[in-house]
Amino acid sequence: MFDVFFFVGLPYIAVFTMVAGTIYRFRKDRLGVSSLSSQFLESKALLWGSVPWHIGIAVVFLGHLIPLLAPGVWQALVARRAFLITIETLGSCAASLCLVGLVILAIRRFASSKLQTVTTAMDLVVVNLLIAQVVLGLGVATAHRWGAVWSTGTTTPYLWSLLRFNPDVSYVAELPALVRVHLVGAFVVFLLVPFSRLVHMFSLPLEYLFRPPQKVVWANPRRLLHAHAAVAAMESRRLFLKASFGLAGAGALLSVGVFDKFLGFFRGPRMTPDEEAKLLKTRLDRLQLTVEERELELERIRSEQIFVAKVGELSPKDGKYFIDYKMRPALAFRDEQGLPRLISAKCTHLGCTVASSVDSTNRLLCPCHMSYFDVKSGAPLEGSPAKAPLPLLGWILVDPNGKTVASQGPDGKLEGKPDPATLDVCSVYIAKQYEEA
Amino acid sequence: MDVRAHVAMVFHLDKCIGCHTCSIACKNVWTDRPGAEYMWWNNVETKPGTGYPTQWEDQTNYQGGWKVTDQRELVLRGQNRRNTVLKLFYNPNQPGLDDYYEPWTYRYEDLFNAPEGDDQPTAIPISQITGEPIDIEAGPNWDDDLSGSPVYAENDPNLSRLTEDERNALFEVERLTMMYLPRICNHCVNPSCVAACPSGAIYKRGEDGIVLINQEVCRGWRACVSACPYKKIYYNWQTGKSEKCILCYPRLETGQAPACFHSCVGRIRYMGVLFYDADRLEDAMKAPEESLVESHRSVLLDPNDPAVIAGAKANGISPEFIESAQKSPIWKYVMEWQVALPLHAEFRTMPMLYYVPPLLPVMGRSGDGIYAHDTEEFFGHLQKARLPIKYLASLFGAGNTEVVEAAMKRLMAVRYFKRAEGVGDVDEDKVKRVLREAQLTAEQAEAIYRLTSLCTVHDRYVMPPIQREEAMTESCSAEMCKGQCGLGTTTPPQRGA
Repeated sequence: MFDVFFFVGLPYIAVFTMVAGTIYRFRKDRLGVSSLSSQFLESKALLWGSVPWHIGIAVVFLGHLIPLLAPGVWQALVARRAFLITIETLGSCAASLCLVGLVILAIRRFASSKLQTVTTAMDLVVVNLLIAQVVLGLGVATAHRWGAVWSTGTTTPYLWSLLRFNPDVSYVAELPALVRVHLVGAFVVFLLVPFSRLVHMFSLPLEYLFRPPQKVVWANPRRLLHAHAAVAAMESRRLFLKASFGLAGAGALLSVGVFDKFLGFFRGPRMTPDEEAKLLKTRLDRLQLTVEERELELERIRSEQIFVAKVGELSPKDGKYFIDYKMRPALAFRDEQGLPRLISAKCTHLGCTVASSVDSTNRLLCPCHMSYFDVKSGAPLEGSPAKAPLPLLGWILVDPNGKTVASQGPDGKLEGKPDPATLDVCSVYIAKQYEEA
Repeated sequence: MDVRAHVAMVFHLDKCIGCHTCSIACKNVWTDRPGAEYMWWNNVETKPGTGYPTQWEDQTNYQGGWKVTDQRELVLRGQNRRNTVLKLFYNPNQPGLDDYYEPWTYRYEDLFNAPEGDDQPTAIPISQITGEPIDIEAGPNWDDDLSGSPVYAENDPNLSRLTEDERNALFEVERLTMMYLPRICNHCVNPSCVAACPSGAIYKRGEDGIVLINQEVCRGWRACVSACPYKKIYYNWQTGKSEKCILCYPRLETGQAPACFHSCVGRIRYMGVLFYDADRLEDAMKAPEESLVESHRSVLLDPNDPAVIAGAKANGISPEFIESAQKSPIWKYVMEWQVALPLHAEFRTMPMLYYVPPLLPVMGRSGDGIYAHDTEEFFGHLQKARLPIKYLASLFGAGNTEVVEAAMKRLMAVRYFKRAEGVGDVDEDKVKRVLREAQLTAEQAEAIYRLTSLCTVHDRYVMPPIQREEAMTESCSAEMCKGQCGLGTTTPPQRGA
């Protein structure tokens, strides 16, 4: 209950109040918004108070903001010990500057009677709260060393859980009391922004860096009617500015994408274990296919003859696919004499693989562009997109004793006469000699 | 040519008696408020003197105004973009309360509430900031009338242009001399305060050139206080906003002269419309110091020139404004007669307030305790005048003595001319010679005399109707324009939290 109030309720109330209250003040109470400088009444102590405080808090603020916005990058950076020590030293120095500045500012308020007339109760609350907050921060830095490291695993995910509207107090439940009080202090500072002089931080005059030096306000409608070239030029400059802002915006969006890639590089792929396993399996399968292909290729390089099939396995209608010496698909049939007929299955049109079965009129079909080939000669039929014939391949017939009984070259010249009785158990080979011929 | 109209002013210093009535009128109308007690939007300084705030003319400290860089660019001396960021948390070039003075009043109730006793009760001075008793150490015109000695006057920055001998001579008791310099915001054509404002709260009204601070946009960074070389912007320590002379625009818009003009006992103040060429402004402000007054004049446009009238109409300037510009006493003093000069033109802001330099301290001479002026030897005397021309040139000529001398010769010629006419103890040849040397005609001399000595309120303030509210309701709702155009504030000003 306690945690829920301070670490869920308070931060939301504080940030909402800060945003809504600040907008309200800038819109409705414009007369009350000012840097509220007191340099006019007292300037010597202000120099040594205001300057260290503002520079210190700017550095400390960045040191808190970067680990929150880019925890991955930050972790990678602070993993290097030299960098970690540098960061912590820099932070402590900046915090000490803050403290020195604030103490001087606080003393100054009490020491000068002139300043007391412009000091409100809220000013004192703010300055004391900030002193307490800086002291707590320094305390955390010394009592619980290397906050730059442990914060990314505790406070950063906690704050992100708040930002994602999915608050998770378990991150801060076990943190040391000092850290928890420092967090609550920060929320109180946020809460007080619209009610105190802290609101001046949103008055940072960034517009000044880009606006033209002189400013003229016209109220005369005649002037508006007869807009002079100078006004037109001003208008075009304004348009130019608008366009550049548009381009800059587009550039920013693009760079968000690029930056995302950079972040992705550091963070690695975003996948669930299941997806990762599936991806690895696909990769393995692809590798296996590659291995098989390489093996076939090697086999064809090393051997003079490659086994295709037993003659008995072949049929006149349904061809058997095999891979020839040039790693192209080919088909093996049995012809009318019962001898093998080997024909390339790579369509001469655009290289698709021809279907394995012949139709009733002994034609082979390439399914890609409907080329028909005569299975006997390999010649394409009239009207087919393919114009060149499918080449016939030479073969060697070997009986079970290992004796070559017959062979046929790619030219169709038959040598030897196999015994029809043992023909079925003879093996059909393709031979390198025919390839080279 | 981009013709624009501007409300401009001339202060005739020969007529100023240093009575501070203008300051009091302004104080009572505008700055009699918490946080503004120390402000004098209108003040009268004694010269030689250090002024208010002390040493305001010395820009080595305050870094106000513009300068020309080696690349021939016109940039703010101290409050450019980079510096403004660097000086955001602490501005080393700003005057503090001590550079003005700690405002005070007296505990008057003590006079009534003191217990009965032998002593007369006194009202002790108390600070208007803390309410506690203080020792008064400075005031807004602490060195008024030289305070009887050259102690303050010796630190006048303008004296640096003088040689040691000239300075010593200036402060010899028998020759001790002084002049008055009433000052308000110059409503410059090239205001450095506008250019320095980080919040963009200061703006120039397009129709009449009045420079105003939008109190709702001002964030109190005080860059303008440093940037204004005349130190005519004041920081209200109570509200945390900066304030300045508004040229009594609510009075102008209802057909009245500003409070300080209206109350001027010596009738030294003239107000009228000037036309200027906004396109020529930047180049003119880059001129070398000795020709700055000339280049300043070259920006002003002759309201009787048909081309200028056509340009004015094209720019939407009303016929009333054009007519008023043609009758403008300012045009006569500044351009036709060239006797009125801008104050410290070397700040390069092109001030729209011109001064006719004072003749009397120059020509008056004291010998054996007898005040005399030697009409025979006058032009010879101009060189060894009591108040050296070099000193006046530092104030009104950006260091160039020629423009000041030319103006002095004209003023003197008018005196010869009128003396010959009225008293008759100067012979006519002499008068003709003097007029010729001053490049004046008899008619012009008569006109200068009439506008200087016999001017009615209608001669001094030649203003067209400035009906901004009406104009505004035509272009947008008054509700919307209120926040933008400084028509007034809708909530009482108070210090924010």
